[in-house]
Amino acid sequence: MGIKKGEKHVRSSVLLMFVFVFTICVCKASVQAESSPASEGQPAETPQEEKTPVINKANEDGELKHTVSTGQSDNTREEDTTPADTTQEDEELQNDDVESEPPLVKDPLQPYNRAIFTFNDKAYHYFIKPIYTGYNSMIPEKARVSVRNFFTNIKMPVRFFNCIFQGNMKDAGTELARFAINSTVGIAGFFDPAKSKFHLEKHERDFGQTLAKHKMNSGIYIVWPFLGPSTVRDTVGLAGDAALNPLSWISYFFLTPIEGFGNYAYDTVNDVSIDKGQTYESITKPAIDPYIALQDAYVQNRIKKIKE
Amino acid sequence: MNYRKITSALGIGILTLAVISPLLWAGEPGKLLMETIDKGFAILKDPSLKGEEKVQERRQMLWKGISPIFNFDEMSKRALGQHWKNRTPEEKKEFVELFTTIMKDAYIGKTDTYSGEKVVIVSEMQDKKYATVQTKIITNKGTEISVNYNMSNNPGGWKIYDVIIEGVSLVNNYRSQFNNILIKSSYKELVQKIKEKKS
Repeated sequence: MGIKKGEKHVRSSVLLMFVFVFTICVCKASVQAESSPASEGQPAETPQEEKTPVINKANEDGELKHTVSTGQSDNTREEDTTPADTTQEDEELQNDDVESEPPLVKDPLQPYNRAIFTFNDKAYHYFIKPIYTGYNSMIPEKARVSVRNFFTNIKMPVRFFNCIFQGNMKDAGTELARFAINSTVGIAGFFDPAKSKFHLEKHERDFGQTLAKHKMNSGIYIVWPFLGPSTVRDTVGLAGDAALNPLSWISYFFLTPIEGFGNYAYDTVNDVSIDKGQTYESITKPAIDPYIALQDAYVQNRIKKIKE
Repeated sequence: MNYRKITSALGIGILTLAVISPLLWAGEPGKLLMETIDKGFAILKDPSLKGEEKVQERRQMLWKGISPIFNFDEMSKRALGQHWKNRTPEEKKEFVELFTTIMKDAYIGKTDTYSGEKVVIVSEMQDKKYATVQTKIITNKGTEISVNYNMSNNPGGWKIYDVIIEGVSLVNNYRSQFNNILIKSSYKELVQKIKEKKS
């Protein structure tokens, strides 16, 4: 295939983006190390968090710790406002706070975000849902799960490299072994014998987590058309994951933009057809304010994934 | 010699017992939770309650079987957060009723699509007053959903005050919503909004 002149620019810009992301990562890490210990957003100052028992899941051996402060909120508030003497204890206290009450992500773009949320909600109900309902009635579930396995297997580099970036060599090894098993015994990834026979679990790692582990703040909350809830950090993460995703390289080199988009759309619809629709609806349907419910669920879920 | 053999055998026996017994006796909160979940599954699997026309009856039975393990007073209190203490006793009572209905409407209906999901306990932590039971739901597609139950020890036994699904705390989720509404509008308007949702 002949490479047009214009494409060279695109390729070098992808490279540049990588360098850029990496620099941000390093800068953030060094700045964070120097200055304040407050890592994840602002420490929430709402007094009701004192009532919530704090579950510390940080320890790897699954040891749980309940810190229940039954004292008056005045007492604990004092603790919160004490100037940050960065002793080990203080840091631990702040971490606990973050866990008990996920700091509400900053949302200065709320009017815009709400508009996009409404758009996405309509798009989901009137466009995506009919598509996957039709798709579900045509394709049996087993086949859909196989298609998902296939895409999951192809996207291995995303998980593999992020495991490495997060310094988790063991999980990276597992991912490599999974890829080797599923690509061969699993017939090009359509089946998942690595899990069913060898009990090797998949490790969902993304670039957003990597950035978070390198102490980048989540930044403000953003809702993207079709893609849904995100933050500044996770948006950069999405770009990073796209760069690590072989599918985007395949579409870039071998497919026209329409085919590439079709590929992506198929993957997404197939995903939604298996379980995503339920997840989305179970969050927004019983909610009093679906926008906030989804935002809060997104932020809480991300915090869990980053801690894993 | 014989004496030594006997003592060592005894020693080994006691050691094995000590290792095994926690496995045999799941802690009380976890046991209670699993009993309730099994009760729920039994109702869902009951052939005499299957089918479209039995939906209401089945939901009623399920609610009767499951709701006692939830501490709706505590859940409502936590969901309202710092706004709880400014409420009059009547308002509190009304709010608990409203919140209970939200929970009921939202989650009992979910069980209509039950298709052989299983629940297993992953781990269990407890002290005198609080316990966390980590479970996972395994769907028939092999997907695993982590669900943690936070429970507290009340005079009436262990009860659930929060459910955390994939890291998302149910109570915190509603607290965010209520807080957000109460920043802009009064408590009356919040109640109005919940009532609109109900109908």
